[in-house]
Amino acid sequence: MRWTPDQEADIALLRERAGTVDPIILQIVEGTLNSIEREIEFAVERTARSPMIREAHDYRVGLFDRFARKLTGRSYSAMPEAVLRDYPPETMKPGDAFFMNDTYDTEGAIGHLPDMCSTVPTFHDGSIVAYIQVFGHHDDIGGKVPGSMPGTALSVFEEGLMIPPIKLYDRGVRNDEAFKIIRRNSRVPEMLEADVDSEMQAILMGSARMTELFERFGRETVEACFQAIFDRTRDIFLNELMPKIANGTYYAEDYVEHDAFTDPLLHKICVTMTKTDGKIVLDFNGTDPQAVGPINWAADYSEGRYLIKWVSPIMRNLADTPERAAEIPCNEGMVDLFEVVFPPKGSLITPIRPAPTNARAFLLLRSLSLFANVLAQAVEGRMPADQETIRYTGFYGYDANGDYFLSREVLGGGGGGRYYADGSDAIHVVPDSRNQPAEYTETQYPLRVERLALAEDSGGAGEFRGGLGYLKEYRPLVDCFTLVSADRVRLGCYGVKGGSSGEPFGVFVDAEGENRKLGGLEDEIPVKSGELMRVETTGGGGWGDPLDRDMEAVRIDVWQGKVSADAAAKAYGVVIAAVEDGEPFIDGAATAALRRKMRAERNTGVPIIDRGAGVETIRLANPGAGELKRYG
Amino acid sequence: MDGSHGKAAGCRIGIDTGGTFTDIVLVGGASDGIQVTKVPSTPENPAIALRRGVEEIVERTGHSIGDVATLCHGTTVATNALLQGEIDNLALIVTEGFRHVLEIARQSVPEGYGNSYFWVKPDRIVPVHRVFEIRERLDFRGNEVRGLDEDSVRDAARLLEKYGLSAVGVCLLHSYANPAHERRVREILEDACPGVTVSLSSDVWPEYREYERAMTTLVDAFVKPVMRRYLSDVSERLPGTLRERPFLVMQSSGGVLSAGQVAAKPISTALSGPAAGVIGARAVGEAAGFKNLITLDAGGTSTDICLVEGGAPQLTTDASIGPFPVRLPMIDIRTVGTGGGSIAWVNREGRLKVGPQSAGASPGPMCYPDGGDAPTITDASAVLGRIPPELIGGGIPLNVERARDGISALGEELGGGLSAERLAAGIIEIANWNQANLIRQMTIERGIDPRDFALLSFGGSGPAQSPAVIELLGIGTCLVPPNPGNLSALGLLMVDYRSDQVFTQVTDQDDLTPAAAAEIYRALETAAVDTLAADGVAAGDITVLRQADIRYQGQSMEVRVEVPGGELTDALLDRMAENFHAAHERTFGYCYRDSQKIELVNFCVSGLGPVPKPELNAGKTVPADFSADFPAPSGTRPVFFGEAWVETPVHLRGNLEPGMRAAGPLVVQEFGSTTVVFPGQPVSVDGNRNLLILPAHGASGQRELGEAP
Repeated sequence: MRWTPDQEADIALLRERAGTVDPIILQIVEGTLNSIEREIEFAVERTARSPMIREAHDYRVGLFDRFARKLTGRSYSAMPEAVLRDYPPETMKPGDAFFMNDTYDTEGAIGHLPDMCSTVPTFHDGSIVAYIQVFGHHDDIGGKVPGSMPGTALSVFEEGLMIPPIKLYDRGVRNDEAFKIIRRNSRVPEMLEADVDSEMQAILMGSARMTELFERFGRETVEACFQAIFDRTRDIFLNELMPKIANGTYYAEDYVEHDAFTDPLLHKICVTMTKTDGKIVLDFNGTDPQAVGPINWAADYSEGRYLIKWVSPIMRNLADTPERAAEIPCNEGMVDLFEVVFPPKGSLITPIRPAPTNARAFLLLRSLSLFANVLAQAVEGRMPADQETIRYTGFYGYDANGDYFLSREVLGGGGGGRYYADGSDAIHVVPDSRNQPAEYTETQYPLRVERLALAEDSGGAGEFRGGLGYLKEYRPLVDCFTLVSADRVRLGCYGVKGGSSGEPFGVFVDAEGENRKLGGLEDEIPVKSGELMRVETTGGGGWGDPLDRDMEAVRIDVWQGKVSADAAAKAYGVVIAAVEDGEPFIDGAATAALRRKMRAERNTGVPIIDRGAGVETIRLANPGAGELKRYG
Repeated sequence: MDGSHGKAAGCRIGIDTGGTFTDIVLVGGASDGIQVTKVPSTPENPAIALRRGVEEIVERTGHSIGDVATLCHGTTVATNALLQGEIDNLALIVTEGFRHVLEIARQSVPEGYGNSYFWVKPDRIVPVHRVFEIRERLDFRGNEVRGLDEDSVRDAARLLEKYGLSAVGVCLLHSYANPAHERRVREILEDACPGVTVSLSSDVWPEYREYERAMTTLVDAFVKPVMRRYLSDVSERLPGTLRERPFLVMQSSGGVLSAGQVAAKPISTALSGPAAGVIGARAVGEAAGFKNLITLDAGGTSTDICLVEGGAPQLTTDASIGPFPVRLPMIDIRTVGTGGGSIAWVNREGRLKVGPQSAGASPGPMCYPDGGDAPTITDASAVLGRIPPELIGGGIPLNVERARDGISALGEELGGGLSAERLAAGIIEIANWNQANLIRQMTIERGIDPRDFALLSFGGSGPAQSPAVIELLGIGTCLVPPNPGNLSALGLLMVDYRSDQVFTQVTDQDDLTPAAAAEIYRALETAAVDTLAADGVAAGDITVLRQADIRYQGQSMEVRVEVPGGELTDALLDRMAENFHAAHERTFGYCYRDSQKIELVNFCVSGLGPVPKPELNAGKTVPADFSADFPAPSGTRPVFFGEAWVETPVHLRGNLEPGMRAAGPLVVQEFGSTTVVFPGQPVSVDGNRNLLILPAHGASGQRELGEAP
């Protein structure tokens, strides 16, 4: 069990006090916790050096109470369980700081090795009252390739330095012997050292702020406030969101389409959700065996708490309005309402060391799609359709002066349609992550951006259309190479309640000539100077019956280049009679007739989930025995 | 008084239009010191209150309209148009291939993970079917890759006419490097559709990053007709001779230009009023001997906070007006929902919240005549006796009972049996913490320690709370200037002419020759000088500051540094590079002085033209001693502090003389604002009649932040 009897008793006492906490101090404590999280973020961003942290914002802060319960929910974060496992709190001293990144030895807190995580205890009156943590995606922590993200890793030993929880600072003194080893394992030791330093200073600052809060209001009051913050979130999930889910059992599966070795093979992750009063059980049995390549996700630790905290915020979509969803705070309070059942060791989400994990982001994102999928089934489709994921494309080589260049860009895609709005066009799931302006790209790299547009017809059709993905065209001005790391390259984002699935991701080389489509995990693909390369990212799934879409909305979509006239007819039953100066005009009578005919020709009702026409075909064609294909 | 220009030069008037009041300040002429007044704002046409205020102060100070030498105005007309106006007449012209530039924007979803599921991307300022592509292309050096197809421009012009689009922004790729195509587009448009308002991105802000430049250009195009109409309306309403006088408008960058020039690029005035407040605060703070300031302006709807470091307000080019990114340099002002009108409420979970909703000026706090139905911070202050029971300047009584009833009702909703006083005190406490937390975030973002700064508090509702805020932050001094409600208007008279010019050309350190840099700077300096000269600034009076935005190769964000004056030589460029390394180290805690190459991104020039300013007694700030006690209070009233009512002395600001001191609890009242000095806090009056309030228990004993473990 998670708690000792003493801890259980302590928490029970806090629960009693939480009911009568001073509302003014509660508001101050909650506001200050949020501020401390922001302050630590500002401190990290200001002083970090790794571009992944500084430019791509790939780092997360966590504040925890003394029971390792997460206090704030603005972002996901790691967890301190593994530190407490190896260093019991009663042995910790002020000035101690801990460090870890081992995927298989951090209780599920760390998904891949570049996410190095620092933890400090916060003391008040001689005892621990909180923990503060930050992890950042460091640019290089060793392993077989620069950047420590080897798409071709066969084992975690190829992915970089593994650090189980260690005490990196003992009462304020850094363990320089350990630090020497850490430095030596990075290709950019100065950067790594500076980043670790930046993160340590930031959480120490945050820890001092936390101590001030305890000094100002006293431990009993502050801890009662913490409990009230957890209880409120639990109550919202329990009383406001959960009752919207019909009790019962629901099943969904989704796929990662490659692992760089066993293509073509769909790697299945599936979940059976059983909802009873006040409880949700997520059972992942049936998930495929662990992959040869680095797409595995070591999730089966700490009773699945990382996974719960990662997927449960999706439930906010059940709120009455999107505005309400946005104001529901997420924290450890949600965790007790969930139970996770993992498959036996050796599956995609229960991999056995040394299975490689650096590309586990695909499965992380699929787990969101899965949970949203079973929820959609359980609420008669009153959930958003599936949305975009994380992927990157890039170019590298030597420019006209003979200087090496590497341009990597994370392009977002379309959001899913919702019962209240179309999916957003060209967004990215990672908060505050930004694309590259064309004027920046052309200034920095020997590339010309010929087109930066939305990909017409990429969003799934629906009463509320899926958001559109990108259509971006590059023309390299030198011979160079391209690389791709992406999923959803064959199966698009699913549609909900009659909405259609969106178009999948694709990279096309020599788009004006041979038009060769690349796979999802590619490297060292030559591109010639002057050849056009086109990237199309995923469109979101549509929501609701496309035949119910407002005709004027379809007309505007055609006018704006978001839907073709052809698709307007085929998917929406809207007949464009004429186009004048780009402005389309609808034939109302023909549209009414076509929509009647399309409805009549349907033999069944609309499905809750649409995976697109391709899914069965692809599974039949790839029965699961893909041939082992070595890269390079 | 200003020495060189003297009374003969006539008087100068600053007019700051706020949401509730229009503040007027007059200096010079026949009156001594700084004269202030306030008239209610007239949001439907701010020009009415402007004229009323000018006439009132001229008459009250015994002047005639003919004595007025210049007017300087801080206005929110551009901002209000953007935030409240219906934007339905706007079009955008872009390079072929970039029609969806606004839809795509920067792909970012605000805030936390998972929000992308329910976040709805707001409607774009121009819908795609009013974005027109034209055929042309430049490379990043400004070289023509494809010539301008003028027929494609005429096609666009025809569609502007067809759809009745009266304002258009033009943002062509890499036009910052070469404006020729955009300028030709304007000629064709003006020829083909006379009357259409055109803004060129290469005029508005020629800096790279196409989405942000397009947005800045579009908001400029949108507010241009509104601003022109307003300024001409002001001009028509001004009494006779005043129309001939210089009429200056404050820009968000903290400088002024004539109304005529501002009308050509009105988006530069977006944060006009708040910028004036910071400029006023800086002048007051500097005269009092504080070069590092946190300025806090608490008005009716919100609180604006800005950092002034070493006498210079922090600028940003990363600001937004509501949802619209505006890339012009602006004073970096952050806002928190703790104005006097900010509403205290109980949320769905039964939790107490303060702001960001505001009762504003209308309907206003519950205690105001015809006030609203929701308790506000002002109501809490009234219930606690911290502000006088009457409206600004006296005369109109506040309905304190109504405020108390409102707060009691809120207490019942909240449960827990809090008294109205305890709840009112709690509302203010929450607001104070919200301010303190924002200040912490701002200072940490900049890598500075708030304890090295003084808090300068102004605005109608700031000084009643700020002395408590310094206790939360460990700040050593809270400074409240005289007439804290009018500091923005005063700031309008403390400001110089300013023209900012920028040119983007990403240049490798190794490729940068002194001759090339000199040529770019010469062109920018000429543009700045010409702009100021057009407003009558004598060439000999103009100061030109050169700056550059620099980064390490591979970074995507730049740091702005000074480029030393004088002839550009290799040695001077080396000093510029050294300035960058030092600034980078100061800002981020490290630099790559000997290991990484740098690149120049933007060349920037600011031209400054001096304006005669009222003298703030610099050098006479510290009286010989602070031995005199405060005079006998003009009265007492019960004020709620901590857990109890305390019969508290009430002083009138006008009775306090330099050198006097006292200790809280006490209240200082004046026209438009009230300062609350909390129990145990020492307060003194400096040579400029600023109140200096210190923490109750001396310098804070808080631990060092960021101390090594």
